[in-house]
Amino acid sequence: MLPVPTTCPFCACGCGLYLLANKDGLVGVAPSETHPVSLGRLCARGWSAHEAALWGKRLTHPLINRKGTLEPVSWTEALDHVTGCFEKLVAAGKPVGVLGSVRATNEENYLAGKLARAGFSTNNLDLSYHSVCGPLLRGLEEVCGDFAPSISLNDIESSQTILLVEGDLAGTHPRAASAVMAAVERGAYLVTVTHTATQMSRLASLLLPAKPGNEGEVIDGLLAAVLQLHLEDQASLAGRCEGYDTLRGNFEAIKVTAEMRQAAEHIARAARATFLIPPLSGEGPPGRREVAALASLAAITGHLEKPGSGLLPLVSRNNVRGACDMGISPDRFPGFRPLDDLEAQRRLQDLWGKEPPLASGLDAESMLKTVSGLIVVADDPPAVLPQGQQALAALGTIEFLVVLDAFLTPTAQTAHVVLPIASWAETEGTVTSMEGRVQRLRVATDPPGEARAGWQVLAELCARFGAGASYASAADVLQEAGRGAPRYALAHQGEDRWGGTGLAKGTNGRKFRLSVADVPTPDRAAGSHVLVRDGAYDWGRDPLVSYSPILSRDFQSERKLFPKGFIEMCKHDADEIGVHPGRPVRLTSAQGSAVVPSRVRTDLQPGVLLVPFALRDHLAEVFGNHSVTAVKLEQA
Amino acid sequence: MVFTLAKDGATKWLAKLLEAGEVIAPVRGPCGDVIFSTLRSPTQVLWDFENPLHPPKQYVLPQTDPLIRIKRDGQRHEVEPIYDDAPRTLFNLRSCDVQGIAFLTRMQEAEPADASYLRRARNLTLISLACATPCPAGFCVCTDSGPFLHKGYDLQLTDLGGNFFVDVGSEKGEAAIARAPELFRQATEAETAKRQTLEAEAKTRFGPETCHFGSAMRRISTRRVPEALWEKMGDWCLECGGCNFVCPTCYCFSVKDLGRNGTWVRCRLWDSCQYPAFTSRLRGTIRGRSARSG
Repeated sequence: MLPVPTTCPFCACGCGLYLLANKDGLVGVAPSETHPVSLGRLCARGWSAHEAALWGKRLTHPLINRKGTLEPVSWTEALDHVTGCFEKLVAAGKPVGVLGSVRATNEENYLAGKLARAGFSTNNLDLSYHSVCGPLLRGLEEVCGDFAPSISLNDIESSQTILLVEGDLAGTHPRAASAVMAAVERGAYLVTVTHTATQMSRLASLLLPAKPGNEGEVIDGLLAAVLQLHLEDQASLAGRCEGYDTLRGNFEAIKVTAEMRQAAEHIARAARATFLIPPLSGEGPPGRREVAALASLAAITGHLEKPGSGLLPLVSRNNVRGACDMGISPDRFPGFRPLDDLEAQRRLQDLWGKEPPLASGLDAESMLKTVSGLIVVADDPPAVLPQGQQALAALGTIEFLVVLDAFLTPTAQTAHVVLPIASWAETEGTVTSMEGRVQRLRVATDPPGEARAGWQVLAELCARFGAGASYASAADVLQEAGRGAPRYALAHQGEDRWGGTGLAKGTNGRKFRLSVADVPTPDRAAGSHVLVRDGAYDWGRDPLVSYSPILSRDFQSERKLFPKGFIEMCKHDADEIGVHPGRPVRLTSAQGSAVVPSRVRTDLQPGVLLVPFALRDHLAEVFGNHSVTAVKLEQA
Repeated sequence: MVFTLAKDGATKWLAKLLEAGEVIAPVRGPCGDVIFSTLRSPTQVLWDFENPLHPPKQYVLPQTDPLIRIKRDGQRHEVEPIYDDAPRTLFNLRSCDVQGIAFLTRMQEAEPADASYLRRARNLTLISLACATPCPAGFCVCTDSGPFLHKGYDLQLTDLGGNFFVDVGSEKGEAAIARAPELFRQATEAETAKRQTLEAEAKTRFGPETCHFGSAMRRISTRRVPEALWEKMGDWCLECGGCNFVCPTCYCFSVKDLGRNGTWVRCRLWDSCQYPAFTSRLRGTIRGRSARSG
């Protein structure tokens, strides 16, 4: 067996690991003690990472849908069919688009963006995961001017105070949780804001309970406490912060608790403080407004400037940052630059030899409903978009759907043409961790059948639509991407380094805009309980997890035990309506009603009802378009 | 039987062993890690190294281990066992890892014996490197697994400075010497005495952690661990399963079928009793400890 160093494909922490392979393929995983992020450790997902490429329903041949059946064809036939159909759609003036992915490499995402913008002259280009992480990135950008974090995972360990607004950090990001634990062991003051008695909250010095969807009230309270106690960092206020007077006007009068004052003092007085923003319940991170408030709190207490202090957003999926940096967005060019950024326009024009489209495109959700032709690169929108099965139905109505994937996902099953590409264990390329490490994936084994590296297939498609270039390797693509996204200009030089090339940290010299909107009034009119999707440690139907026998076992056994889904509540709520564990309950919101079995958990607050993200479709009517909703709970 | 091998002879011997089959040894990995890997050249092998975190048990018990091939033939199923009979040598593994494999073999030999494992183990030659200096936090002396061994190995090498002292533990060990007998000579009494001295000195070099390990074992076996400590340890556990995977003796596993082109391969997979669904525990998961009911 030969150990092949590569990067973990799951969350965005960016751990390094070795894939072990013999002549028959992948055999296992080994940790790396020298990798600067993982330091010899791996989480449960990392330890089973090889299964993610070995076990899935792998695609081995190009497929064309003929009378409802996907039939194997040659690469030439499949690519000719794609070219012909898209040329007809474009000639007829019909809208087309491209979906990139958090599962795809930087090189694949860059070429997906090039295909849309230079090939089809459209900004109909998105990432379905933007529906989840978009508010986080935009909230950070609003205040800091950039979503790139100013600290790394290793900085957490030396923090004196940590503010953690979490769903279940230990489940979603064990690597970050281990850093928080190390800091607590060294005496750090941990403040958690959560609605569940999580593992981190048991280690916390101070617990600030929050109802799902109302985490913002606690963050607002902390901001108000800092203002009322005059704990602002005067040097930061004078030098770097804009909009302080408005912030003060909006927040100073808010009522704060003694615990909030206590937390505010610890945050303000720490020489090094970390503000961690992992996913909340419902898989998603906090909303744009809450993130802006949190960033403003960090800014006025000086922690966006102090060395070793800062904000660290943590997203669930692997290459969110890379996909954004490659411009997979309907309103951002590579470098995550706005479409009206003249410098970005000029760079792309020089690079592609044609003017990039300047009108905003459609986002992922709108594309599913609107476009006639869609190319999906390693994405499965029904597994990611909150609408779930509705997204799958929308995909079925698209006139011509092309899917490039390593796995036969539900999206691929709906496609007119399926192009098999190598999985993360079989391709060259890079991914970018949330803290900004551009790290290599390496070929540990050959892709199955006739599957090809994704960047090669996309380069061929680009060439067929007039956006060709000669790439001998994935590194050539990264080099070109570095000319479009200047932060990546040197990435190709350092990609052999274990731990990758570190991109520039955020907040370099920019003014912080303290632009938090008015305090919203929570709507609790429709019922006494709050229903929320519980995304913690539930990767739902992500193919990397759902096909891995060890990783998918918990989800699968839950689906078998509860084919009609379930909700979870505390014992107090169950007793109040006289329902026994396992019996059905009726939930009624302003949007609709549903009857589902119930389970009891001892770590929930009264009034909080959770539904696993993967089982959200059973409550689609109750949620409507909301991620958190007030409901009436009664015995069915 | 005891021999010595000159240090410059070791590379020539390894070249002979490589001709006979796969040789696995600790090497400096591409990213600086010490890691067990199939040797491509005799010069890759490390002689002075700290034992890697990841043990070599995967060479007898692979993380994904194909056991049976199942083919469908009309209404019938053809089932054939998959055996890995390739001759392999595990070279320069440390005493603890030798004992780890010995323990695994003892478990797999128990009825019903595991033929797949045993074939692989029988074709594996273990050439260990005794530890004259124990690991900083080593505790092998408490578990009868080092720093020197008296059984379990096929050959045990001890670095005497200018040459290696070679303890022979089995016929497989003799066969490994027979690949290049001209490189070995009978050990002198002085060399034997030096090896015994190194072993005696090594036993005195354990740090205070070793005492803690012994004390912890006594407390656990006599049930004198306060409940609050288990609770605290639960709070610090991230349920990664790493304790199972890096333990040289753990063999927690699941069985799952891998489908490929109309054929199914039944595989044994490393698994962890720390994972929630591996064993349903009355009190829920270690990490969550929050019993769900209903």
